[in-house]
Amino acid sequence: MRRPDPKIVRWGILIALLVAGAFAPMRALSPGLFLPRLSKPLPVLWIDLDNYWAALRATLYEVVLAMVIAWGLGIVAGATIGGIAVLRDLLLPVFSSLYAVPIVILYPIFTAWFGIGSQSKVMFAGIYGFFPVMLSTAAGIRTIDPQFLLAARSMGATVTQQITKVIIPASLPTVFGGLRLGGALAIIGVIVAEMLTASAGIGYLVTLNRTILDSPRVFAGILCILVLSVAYDIIARRLERRMVVWQSAGRRQQQASPRPIAQGAPAPAAA
Amino acid sequence: MQYVADMKAAQTAGAAIDIDRVSHVYAGPEGGVQALSDVSMKVGAGRFIVIVGPSGCGKTSLLMMMAGLRDHTEGRIHVHGAPIPKPDPERVGVIFQEASLFPWLTTFDNIEFPLSLRGMSREERRRRSEPMLSLVGLTGFGERYPHELSGGMKQRVSIARGLVQDPPVLLMDEPFAALDEQTRMTMGHELLRIWSTTNKTVVFITHSLTEAVYLADEVYVMSPRPGRMIDHIMVDLPRPRTYEMMATDTFGRLRDRIWQQIRKSH
Repeated sequence: MRRPDPKIVRWGILIALLVAGAFAPMRALSPGLFLPRLSKPLPVLWIDLDNYWAALRATLYEVVLAMVIAWGLGIVAGATIGGIAVLRDLLLPVFSSLYAVPIVILYPIFTAWFGIGSQSKVMFAGIYGFFPVMLSTAAGIRTIDPQFLLAARSMGATVTQQITKVIIPASLPTVFGGLRLGGALAIIGVIVAEMLTASAGIGYLVTLNRTILDSPRVFAGILCILVLSVAYDIIARRLERRMVVWQSAGRRQQQASPRPIAQGAPAPAAA
Repeated sequence: MQYVADMKAAQTAGAAIDIDRVSHVYAGPEGGVQALSDVSMKVGAGRFIVIVGPSGCGKTSLLMMMAGLRDHTEGRIHVHGAPIPKPDPERVGVIFQEASLFPWLTTFDNIEFPLSLRGMSREERRRRSEPMLSLVGLTGFGERYPHELSGGMKQRVSIARGLVQDPPVLLMDEPFAALDEQTRMTMGHELLRIWSTTNKTVVFITHSLTEAVYLADEVYVMSPRPGRMIDHIMVDLPRPRTYEMMATDTFGRLRDRIWQQIRKSH
């Protein structure tokens, strides 16, 4: 059976969801309180545009700062721990276990330390996103083929050159995966924190409207968050694909046969 | 003074590589492990040397020592008249198994990698890599990435990379081991063609006895660990070598002699 084009499938799912969102609630299957018709949140969004825009800006500001913390700390810590064997053996198991802890339980402590303003959200989401970045950076460095470094050394590469010309490009695909995940967690972290204790932001709006049972406004907030996450994912994917052209096919090169064009190897000259 | 005298002796004898009573002991989990024991060999400039021996006999270690990539505990290794305490790409080029091409670089960039380490300008690098590409028969493939090349083509790129700084000595560590039999034969033949146009001294490690006899001027046979040189065989087949020679009695006798030596040593 021929597989359908994934692009068509993706658009199909999106359209199906929109149609379902627009018509399912009409059938009185669910009261508007649980699932308002798609035609409700949109006008609300338009009416309260200033409100939502201000909230979105606050959230975006926190998300960007949280990502900077998650990526920066994660790369530095990951490179240090991944690159130094002693630290790796001591700390990597600890961090791997910590990753499994639902850090959201620490959020009350963050508010105690940093208040309920944007600082506590930034710190919390930054730490939340830090773990995948740190772990994948460490993994990316640890799993570099030693042959690469041996080859570079044989060609006279200094330690600095080994880092800039081999270790960094070789670990890039793995690190990028971690950056993408860490960024997504930073978004989740900010929103969750805003929903728990906050005075601004989209998450705060969602919680606020939920407590007064204003479903259309809740869903308007959810739509904003959806757009934010999807936009982030698209941008991150684009960047990733551009940065590591060789990776998609490169990692599978061992098993896969080369492209047909490779058969055009020039015939060896007669001896 | 002794050092200067040695240097003179090596040069007048035309020895590109002079290995003198080299032993190596490395720290294993249960104390010192003797990897190499009293290995000596003299390689004349421009010669094609093949080293064969069972797995784990230390032949790769020996090659890494000649490349300045590994230390040895005793003895002396001179490459073109001087010791080689660290890698010197202008004296020695090393070609590894296929895994060592950088997958994030194009063919051109891979070949030019050693030049870029020295901060050479882009134009100058390209001026040097283009003839290498055509020497190994890959003109037109410069912008391809390694995953777009076949195994044999990747190894051609490796050879070009090893030659780009024009070192007098080329060390090859089982470069064709990952290739299928037919590609391997073709590549051996190609290597001889390239070698005959460049006058390099080649030290080549392999497991294949046929490959050893087909390529070599001289074959060294090593024993299982601790690695020692147990035989040194002159291959007096005429050059250029042809595939037909493999069917001759001389070829068979030489291959048989290597095989007997390896078998005896177990």
